[in-house]
Amino acid sequence: MPLVKINDVHKYYGDLHVLKGVNLSIKQGEVICIIGRSGSGKSTLLRCMNGLEDYQKGGITVDYKEVTTEDIQVKALAKSVGMIFQNFNLFPHLTVGQNIMLAPTIVLKQSTEEARVVAKKMLTKVGLADKFDSYPEQLSGGQQQRVAIARALAMSPKVLLCDEITSALDPELVGEVLKVVEQLAEEGITLILVTHEMNFARDVSDRVVFMNQGKIWEEGPPKDIFEKPQTEELKLFVNSVL
Amino acid sequence: MIEFSNIDIIRNLLIATQWTILLSLAAFAGGITVALLLTAARLNKTPLLSIFVRIYVEVFQGTPLLMQMFLCFFGLSMISIEISAWNAAALSLTLFTSAFLVEIWRGCIDTLPKGQWEASRCLGLSFLQTLRYIILPQAIKTALAPSIGFSVQVVKGTALASVIGFVELTKAGSMLNNATFEPFKVFTFVAIIYFILCYPLSWTSKFLEKKFNASR
Ligand SMILES: Nc1ncnc2c1ncn2[C@@H]1O[C@H](COP(=O)(O)OP(=O)(O)OP(=O)(O)O)[C@@H](O)[C@H]1O
Ligand SMILES: [Mg+2]
Repeated sequence: MPLVKINDVHKYYGDLHVLKGVNLSIKQGEVICIIGRSGSGKSTLLRCMNGLEDYQKGGITVDYKEVTTEDIQVKALAKSVGMIFQNFNLFPHLTVGQNIMLAPTIVLKQSTEEARVVAKKMLTKVGLADKFDSYPEQLSGGQQQRVAIARALAMSPKVLLCDEITSALDPELVGEVLKVVEQLAEEGITLILVTHEMNFARDVSDRVVFMNQGKIWEEGPPKDIFEKPQTEELKLFVNSVL
Repeated sequence: MIEFSNIDIIRNLLIATQWTILLSLAAFAGGITVALLLTAARLNKTPLLSIFVRIYVEVFQGTPLLMQMFLCFFGLSMISIEISAWNAAALSLTLFTSAFLVEIWRGCIDTLPKGQWEASRCLGLSFLQTLRYIILPQAIKTALAPSIGFSVQVVKGTALASVIGFVELTKAGSMLNNATFEPFKVFTFVAIIYFILCYPLSWTSKFLEKKFNASR
């Protein structure tokens, strides 16, 4: 059974039909990049995968759990699925260490000591071991995003959802974040990334998914997607971004 | 007739001031507690609860505090619930205070980025955990100044308890006036005491507001 299974999902915002029958299966350890024009439904699809948005038809399962917006489901899902946002969404009133330790202590019921050990390990992994006691506002955007990644990793998720996690960063800070993500990919965590970084999609992903008009228009290995696009829409898109 | 010296007047007023302070504290503590519950109810996704809070706020903000106090005191005794003047005053002031605090806090909470809720949800925090660990600690910084500012209204509001016969500062003032026939003197003292109670509060509120604006 695939780790993530999306089966004919339809999503409406009022009358607006945003997802029009999306099917997607993702295996453990796969790295998937979702690309597509603005408004094609990439974020919406991602947010449906962990219960931030509801959908009206079809079904999604992640790690054997059915995804709904019910509080209990979302809470259970948080142990399997982590999410990184474009705007980091760190908690500004907490230190870096507290940001990372909060959920493991109150959701996973780890002791403070256990959580501290994990937090330090994750911070080391993202190269910020010395920032444990800093506040988010004292960090650069790239550092904040890496803390957000460490925060998600501390919950030891099986899947990490990343929605344009470098879009809010100054160009010179993009690299340090992508490097961390690349390292995670090598370690074998399942990654689903919405991204505009085409080079990254080409070099790091196992499979690229092109979304258009609320549907998965085309998918395949990055080589095929970027070098041999089958549809007119993907050709146009690839030419416009490369 | 008993003669009242200035010292006597002031002493009597100060004794009654204790009740004004106590009533203010009770109303504010009660108001905070009820407002916290109402805030949780308002933010909950159950539409019925948030509609209830909206109506509650409208009713208590849209009617005079004096009427609320009358209804608590006379209204409850009409349906044969005996209630002392102290209880009626504390109860109505609590409800009145909570309605305003909920509204003040609403502004502070709703201006926090939606991402704070979403990140918490993705990390598996429940609604109440998010409120407790993420939302309230941040909202408190912005809410402190206007909440303390509002406490001045609560202190002044306690004066209305005199109308239902509760002996606090204002009531003591009118009793002393009846005994001395020196309204100007007596009520000047009364006013000065209210000012001494309220001024530190409004000063603190302004100070915090400035400090907060500077730190942004
Ligand atoms: N909360 C919402 N309410 C109503 N419509 C929405 C909402 N969120 C998104 N939409 C609409 O749904 C469609 C898909 O949006 P979505 O954010 O998923 O696109 P996207 O592919 O992530 O685009 P971008 O690259 O700009 O982030 C758009 O037409 C958008 O306007
Ligand atoms: Mg998007």
